[in-house]
Parts: sequence; C-alpha cells; structure tokens
Amino acid sequence: MNDTAVLSPTLSPSTHEFSEVIHRLEAGGSMLPDTPENLKQIIGIYKAYAVPMDFYWRDLLYIAEKVFLNPLPAFKYFISDKYLDRPNAYAGDGADLRIWRGEADAHPELRDFMAKGEFNRKLPKLFHHLWHDRVNMEFAEACMEAMLWHEDINPQFNAYLDGDEYKQNSDLAIRAYFKGNPLMLGLYKLFPDMFLEQVKKLSYYANLGLFWEVMAPVFFEMSDLYDEGKMTTVPEAMDFLVNGIFAVAGRPIFHHAYIDGKCYEIIPKSQGFTWLYEAALPYVEAVFYRTAPFRGTKSYNAQAGQVPSDQKDFHYGILYADVFPVGSAGIPPTLLMQDMLHFLPDYLIEDYQQHGRGEDDILIQLGITFQRSMYNVTSAVIQALRAALLYPLDDPNPDHLKANRQFFEQQIDRFKRPEARLRDVQDQSYR
Amino acid sequence: MPSIVDIAVQNDGFSTLVAAVQAAGLVEVLATGGPFTVFAPNDDAFAKLPPGTVQTLVDNPPQLARILKFHVVSGIWHKDDMAQQATLTSLEGSPIPIRTEPIFEVKNSTVLAADIIASNGIIHVIDNVILMG
Repeated sequence: MNDTAVLSPTLSPSTHEFSEVIHRLEAGGSMLPDTPENLKQIIGIYKAYAVPMDFYWRDLLYIAEKVFLNPLPAFKYFISDKYLDRPNAYAGDGADLRIWRGEADAHPELRDFMAKGEFNRKLPKLFHHLWHDRVNMEFAEACMEAMLWHEDINPQFNAYLDGDEYKQNSDLAIRAYFKGNPLMLGLYKLFPDMFLEQVKKLSYYANLGLFWEVMAPVFFEMSDLYDEGKMTTVPEAMDFLVNGIFAVAGRPIFHHAYIDGKCYEIIPKSQGFTWLYEAALPYVEAVFYRTAPFRGTKSYNAQAGQVPSDQKDFHYGILYADVFPVGSAGIPPTLLMQDMLHFLPDYLIEDYQQHGRGEDDILIQLGITFQRSMYNVTSAVIQALRAALLYPLDDPNPDHLKANRQFFEQQIDRFKRPEARLRDVQDQSYR
Repeated sequence: MPSIVDIAVQNDGFSTLVAAVQAAGLVEVLATGGPFTVFAPNDDAFAKLPPGTVQTLVDNPPQLARILKFHVVSGIWHKDDMAQQATLTSLEGSPIPIRTEPIFEVKNSTVLAADIIASNGIIHVIDNVILMG
C-alpha cells in the first residue's frame, strides 16, 4: 500500500485486524488502496459493466412492465425498440438530473453487440439468442432473485408486498392481463397466491431495473472523466459514487405494469419508497455480501454446517468470491464476466495480455478486477452511510470520531472471515 | 400563538425547510394538526447535503414527505422530557436516537436551539438533516 493514512490526533490508533484499512477510511479513503493501477482497473471495469447494465435495466423494466405474467416468456430478452430508446432519467438533455453527459437511449456499443454478437455478423435475432451470443440477462435475474430471497433486508418494501393494498393492485393487473383468457383466469382463481408471488417477483424486477438505471450513467460518466484526465485517484472515484448515492437517494421505487395501453400502479410512487432505502442498500447486502452458493461450483454439506443456518450470515457475494472456481460456465458471476469481456476498454485488454495467462484466463483476471471495483463501490456505500448517519471525518468532537471508528470497525468485521478478499485486494499482485 | 409553520416562515434560516414542507404537501398538517415535536434542520443543514440531493426529493413529494416525517414526533417533547428517552418514534415509523447530555443531540445532529413553543407543538432546531437507518 502506498497511500498514507492521516490519523486523527484525538484518537489512538485502531487495534483492528485491518487497522490500515480503518485508518484509510477515517482519512476519507477507500478499502482499495489509492494506486494508479487500481484506479485504471476499477474505472475500466466500470465502463465494461455499464454497457451490459444498460441492457439489464431496460430489460428488467421491460419484463416488469410489459412481459408481466406471460406464462411462456420465451421472448422476454427480446427487448422492444421502445425500451431500447427509452430515455435514461440520468443521461441526455431531458434528464431529471444529468449524471452522464452522453445520450439517454441505449449505448451504441450495446446496440452494436446486440446486432452482431461475438460472431460480429448481423444475423437474425433468434439465431444470436439460441446460440447464446447475446447479453446474459440471466445474471440480472440472479441478482433480482437474491434480493427477493433475502427478504429480511427490505422490511418496509416487503411489508407492502404482503399487504392488502398490494394484493388489490395486483389483482386488478392480473385480471386485466388475462382478460379473455378463461384458462389463466381459472388457474388464478384456483391458485391466487401463486400468481401474487409472481407479481412480487416482477416488483423486484422493477426495483432492480430502477436501481441500475442510475448506476449505468454513473459508471459511464466516471469512465469519461478518467479518459479526460479529470478523475485521478481512487478516493475521487469513491467520492463520485458517494455524491451520486446522495443525489438520487430520493428517487422513487415503484412498479407500474402497462396492459392494453393502460397503466396499472402495482406499487405507486406515492408509497414513498426510495432508491437508497428500498433498492440500493438491499441490493448491496443481497448481491455484494450474501447471495447464495452457486450450483455447480462447489459442493456444500448443510448438515455439516458448511452453509450458515441463518440467511444473514450468507457470504457468497463478490466480496467473498474465489473468482477461479466461480469462473465456470453458466453460473451468474461468469455470465457477467462474459458480458463485460465484450466491452473492455483497450487499456484493460492490454493489461490482461501482459499478466497471468494472457487472454486464456482473461475472465478470471477481469473477475478479480471486478472484485476490486466492488470493494470500491462498497467503500462508497460505507462512507455514504457514515456521512448520512454519523459524523464528518474532521469532526472536532472526539466522541463523534469514536462513533465513526466503531462504525467503520463493525463494517470491516464482516471481512474478517477467511473467504473475504479484502486482504487480497490490498496487494496489486492479486490478479 | 404562531403555529409550527408560522415560526419556520417568520424566522430567517429556514427557507429550505419551508420550501420542502410546501413541496411535500405537509403545510396544512404542520400548521393545524398536532401536537407535534419537530426537529427542524436549518438552511445550513440542508446545504451540507451533496448537490442534487434536495432537488431529487423536491421533485418527488411522497419521498420528500417520508424524509420530513422522520423529523417529526407525535406529542410535545421538551428537552427535559427527553432526558429519560433513548429513542423517540418518528411519524415515518423509524426510531430517532436522542441524547440530552453532555450535549443535546438528535441522532447525528446537534440541537442549536431547543424548546421553541408553537401553538401546535414544539420545535428543536438541528444542524443536520437526519436520515433513517
């Protein structure tokens, strides 16, 4: 580590196992050391992540709003032009709040890939789909399912999904969607809870879509600032994320479905759900920290206690991932790595060619880069929570600084377990 | 005696709060409802939030109302009444941690002026916008 932590004169040094990281956070830094190499890696991967994310958020909303309860959703990944053209609320001239200076419709690199795929030839969409030469939307769905399954982390949102108002709103939408379809309406009458559960899942599609609609332009803007030489340190990259988190914290999280040209407000905006509380924080907890063991990577014996009995102790997210065995075909993290591979900036490709096994293990290398970058995003979340709930880093009151210290140490305690990669990402040779 | 809203409008330093209360559609309830205890962030408190934060909230009244309701407690709570309370439950539903000693603090804000009596409640001026969590 070559960054120097500035210790507060009023606090004695931390005795935490990761005291160096604690001191760095107290000095306004990130869990990731501030090196030019780290900055290059995280910004490069943010850009490679933002392009498929531009597809994920559009398709998540397309499924939540238009595909809805289609019992045979074979074409749910065949996003309509309307959703590809749909203006991102945080990019373009008509933005609510312009985060990215680029255009609001689907990113040109995404459109190009959707048309040609890895084949680099324009073929019928169905061919690209069946050959799996496309954006791996299954990754986005796996993230959504993690949020749905870890229900304890989103209490107000889930309380609403379990309430009578939500049931009534869903009922109206279900009846409208299956109007004139006696078979499905009959099944609904027989198994109403099954249909309601599917609508709840679709509400999480909307939740995650609205969350990622923000993150894609944030990452595009960071990449542009880096390319322009205006983002020069890891803490600057983290601070950009912190400011972004605050700026959009109050964005409504809602679920509207469009059936026969009519809007059904399944979760109305007036419910008061916010991007920060009902989407961003649950997302980080469910996806970065917890998720679930991925089938096909490693066998776990639950009876031998190899899987925690309590969901809150799950630790299968990117912050804990051993990227090498995880890098198996078909599982969600590898699907994302494959997606990011298509949009890497040249400087990262050159970097990977010079390390490890060059292009042969490029998915592993970029997976580890992604892990580094998510330690930086998590740092931004930790600093944003500290700023929102605790005290400034230069607060003159020693009790306040102690409270900040305690908060940072509690957060970093989660990385004491052996699977955590916090120690690894301190070292540049971890690739 | 002036209401909670009247006091905020008539005193300098609360223009952001007044604008927020108006945007959230809470003027009437804070002017005539109650009694309430309001932890009122001053303009400097709102100015500490990163750029865009307040604007996004003002553009979305239900979300803004939720944040503002976190600053309001049902009933009249003087500083002395709060000495025995570790938390109060906000109208938003989340608890607000309170400390009165050695200094009067509401969550991560410090009370700049306590016990301002209104016709329908009491105001404590705070130096930070407080957030749930």
